[in-house]
Amino acid sequence: MAEINIMETIPDKMVIPLKQHNGDVCEPLVSKGEVVKVGQKIGECPSDRCAAIHSSVCGEVVSVEESSHPSGNRINSVVIQPVEETECEDFTPFKDSGREQLISVIKEAGIVENYGTPTHLVLNPPDCDIDTVLINATASEWVGHNYETPLEYASEMLDSLRLLMKAAGASRGAIVLRNDDEDSIDAFDGLDYEGKTIMVAPLIGKRRVGYYFNDQDTDIIVVSQDKIYGKNIFEYFTYNVTGRKVPFRCTPASVGVAICGVKSAKALNDLVNTGMPYIETVVTVSGQVNNPQRLLVKIGTSFKDVIEACGDYRGEPAKLISNGVITGVAQYDEEVPVTKMTTSIIVQDKDEVLKDISKDCIHCARCVDVCPVDLIPNRIAALSNQGRFDECRQMHIENCIECGRCSSVCPSKIHVMQLIQYSKEAIARADEDFSEKESSNIKLGCSCGSE
Amino acid sequence: MTFTISPPPHIKQDTTFKKITWMKVLALLPVSLVSVYFFGLYALAIIFAGIGMAVITELVIEKVFNKKITIMDGQAVLIGLMLALMLPAEAPIWIPVVGSFFAVAIGKHAFGGIGSYIFNPVLVAWVFLILAYSSYMYPVSFPELGGISDIFLENGAGLLIGVSPIALIGGLYLILKKYIEWKIPAFYVLTTLILAFLVGDNMGHVITGAFVFGVLFLATDSPSSPVTKKGRIIYGVLCGILTVIYGHYANYIFAVFYSIFLANCVTAFIDNSTLPGSFADESFLQRKYKAIMDKIPFERLGVKIDD
Repeated sequence: MAEINIMETIPDKMVIPLKQHNGDVCEPLVSKGEVVKVGQKIGECPSDRCAAIHSSVCGEVVSVEESSHPSGNRINSVVIQPVEETECEDFTPFKDSGREQLISVIKEAGIVENYGTPTHLVLNPPDCDIDTVLINATASEWVGHNYETPLEYASEMLDSLRLLMKAAGASRGAIVLRNDDEDSIDAFDGLDYEGKTIMVAPLIGKRRVGYYFNDQDTDIIVVSQDKIYGKNIFEYFTYNVTGRKVPFRCTPASVGVAICGVKSAKALNDLVNTGMPYIETVVTVSGQVNNPQRLLVKIGTSFKDVIEACGDYRGEPAKLISNGVITGVAQYDEEVPVTKMTTSIIVQDKDEVLKDISKDCIHCARCVDVCPVDLIPNRIAALSNQGRFDECRQMHIENCIECGRCSSVCPSKIHVMQLIQYSKEAIARADEDFSEKESSNIKLGCSCGSE
Repeated sequence: MTFTISPPPHIKQDTTFKKITWMKVLALLPVSLVSVYFFGLYALAIIFAGIGMAVITELVIEKVFNKKITIMDGQAVLIGLMLALMLPAEAPIWIPVVGSFFAVAIGKHAFGGIGSYIFNPVLVAWVFLILAYSSYMYPVSFPELGGISDIFLENGAGLLIGVSPIALIGGLYLILKKYIEWKIPAFYVLTTLILAFLVGDNMGHVITGAFVFGVLFLATDSPSSPVTKKGRIIYGVLCGILTVIYGHYANYIFAVFYSIFLANCVTAFIDNSTLPGSFADESFLQRKYKAIMDKIPFERLGVKIDD
C-alpha cells in the first residue's frame, strides 16, 4: 500500500472554483476582503444538481473572479490569501443520523464522486430506488487512499459502505476490488466484520454479486474483478458486477444501483465521525518530477504548488496532465487548482510529447482486439467522421466506455476516441430536441428503467 | 512556462504503419537472399526491377495527382518485393516491371490508396499477369517437399518464393510482435492441413514456400481482410477451403494465390455479417435456456439461485 504524504506548506494563494462537480455553478457566499475559516461554506447551491463548496484554508478573500479550471474552462472562483494560523469552524459529528439527514448532510458537506456527480444525487436519485450500493475500488488511483494500515483501510471502508447503504436506503452493498491488487485483497480477506468473516469473491462468468449475496448469506460482500477504466464505465461496470443491463440513456440508478468511489466513501466516513466537509483530497503526482508521490492536498492548491511540494520539475516540463495519461486533460496553465475531481497530476517532458499525424485507417483490427466492450472502433470512427450517426447507433456506440485503448494502439494514429465521443455527443444532443409531448416513445429519467 | 495541449490519450504505442511495413520487408529479406543464392544474380535483377518500378509508379502517381508523397512508408517497396518473389525465376525482366506498375497503379491507387483497396494489390497484379502472359508465368517445375532438407533449401523450386520455406520464419516474429494478427494464419493453416489430409493429398505438395508466404504475408494484408473477431476466423477458414478445392485438382502453389484473391472478394460481406452485438445481449440459446429456467419453481424447491 503506497504511502500517503501530507502537504505541509501553505501556498501563497488558493483558488477554489465554485464548480467542482457536474451540474450547476455555486453562488459565492463571500466577497472581497472577508476573512474565512477552514471548513467555512463559501459556495451555496442554487439548485439540487449541485454540491456546496467550502474553504480549505484560513485567510482573507482577495477576489471572486473567473479563473482557470482543470476541465479547461474558466470558472468563477474564490481566491483566498491564506494566513499561518488555522482556525476551524466548529465541526459537529453526525453520528446516528437518519437517512434524510444523511442525504442533506452529504449535500451540505459537498461530497462529490471522482467522476463528477454529487454523491447525494447518486445515493438519492429523483424517482428511483437504490437497492445495491457498490464501491468501485478497481482503478489504481483510488485504492488505498490515506490510511495508516491495510486493516484500518478495510474496516473503515466497510463502515463507509454501511453508511452509504443507510443513506441510500439500500439493502445490499458490495466493494469491488481489482483482481491484481493483492494489497487490498489481503486487507479484506479473512477480516471479521459484524460477526462475519469477509471473503473476497472473484466475479467469474455468471457468478456476479447476486450469487455471492445468496451464497454467503449476508448483505455486505467484497468481490474482485479485472480493472475497468474509462470516462463512462457505469453501464458496463453495473452489468459486469450485478448482471443488470442499464437501458440506453439511463444511469445505473434506473436499475437500482449506486456506484461510489473510494474517495467519497472515505469523505463520508470522515464527515460522520468528525463533521469535516470535503476539503482535502489525495493526488498522485508522477512523471517528470523529482520526488513522485501520493500527496494529501487541500482543495484549491494550484498544480504548481503541488509540484513544488514534490521537489519541482525534473528538467524542462512540456506537458501537464490531470487525471491520468489515457483519458486525462492536458493543462495549458500550471496555476490551475486541485479540485474534488482531481485524482492525479502527470508531468511529461519534451521527448514524451506525441507529435503524430493521423493517416488513413489500414483496417489492422488492433482496436477491435483491445476493445473491452466488443465494438468495431475503426468503423464507428469512420462513420462518425462522415456524420452517419444513425449507423453509429446500430453499431452500439453507446456501449463505449471511453477508455482510449483504441486511440492508444492505432498504428495510423487516428483519434478514434475523440471521433466516437463526438458522435455520442451529437446523438445525445439530437435526442434532447424531442419535446416529451411529441415523442411518447422516448421517456426521460428513470422511467425508462421500469418496464 | 508553456505547456503543450493535445487530446488524450497522452501515451500511445510506438507501432506505426511505417514500422509495420518495413518490418515485413525485413522479414522477407532472408528468403530473397536465399533465392539470389539459388537462382543467381538474375533473381536479384527481377527483385530490383519489381521494387524499382513500384516505387517509380507510386512517385509519379502521387506527383501527378498532387497527393502527399508516401514512398517512405515502405508500402511500394513491399508490393514490388512481394510481387517479384511470386514470379518464376526465368520470367523476362519486363514481367516484374509491368506487374509492379499494375499493382501500384491499378491495384492500389485506382482503388483509393492505402486502406481503401478491396483486393491485395500484389494479387491483383499476379492475376493480371497470369491471365495476360500465362506462358511466361508458369514455372519450369512445381516444388514438392520430399524430406526435411527441402524445408531449408527446396531444389525443385520454380518461383523465387519457393526456395526456402524456413526462411519465412520472420513472419512468426511479426505475429509475436502483433504487427500482423494471428487468427487468419492460424485458421488458414489448420483448415488447409485438415482438409488436405481428408481428401488424401500429399502433405509435401501442400506445405511449400508459396503456402507459408501466402499464409503469413498475403492473407494477413490488413486492408483486404476482415476486422471483426469472428470475421477473421471465417476468412481464414474460407481461404483454407478454397486452397484445398483448387489445390486438389490443380496445384497448391497457384491455389494459395487464387484462394486469397477470391476470399478478398467477400471480405466486406464477412465484415458486415459478423458485426458484434451489444455486450449484454443474449444469444438465441441463452434466451431459450432462460425461458426454461424461469418455469422451474426454484423457490418452492428451496434451491438458491443467482438473480
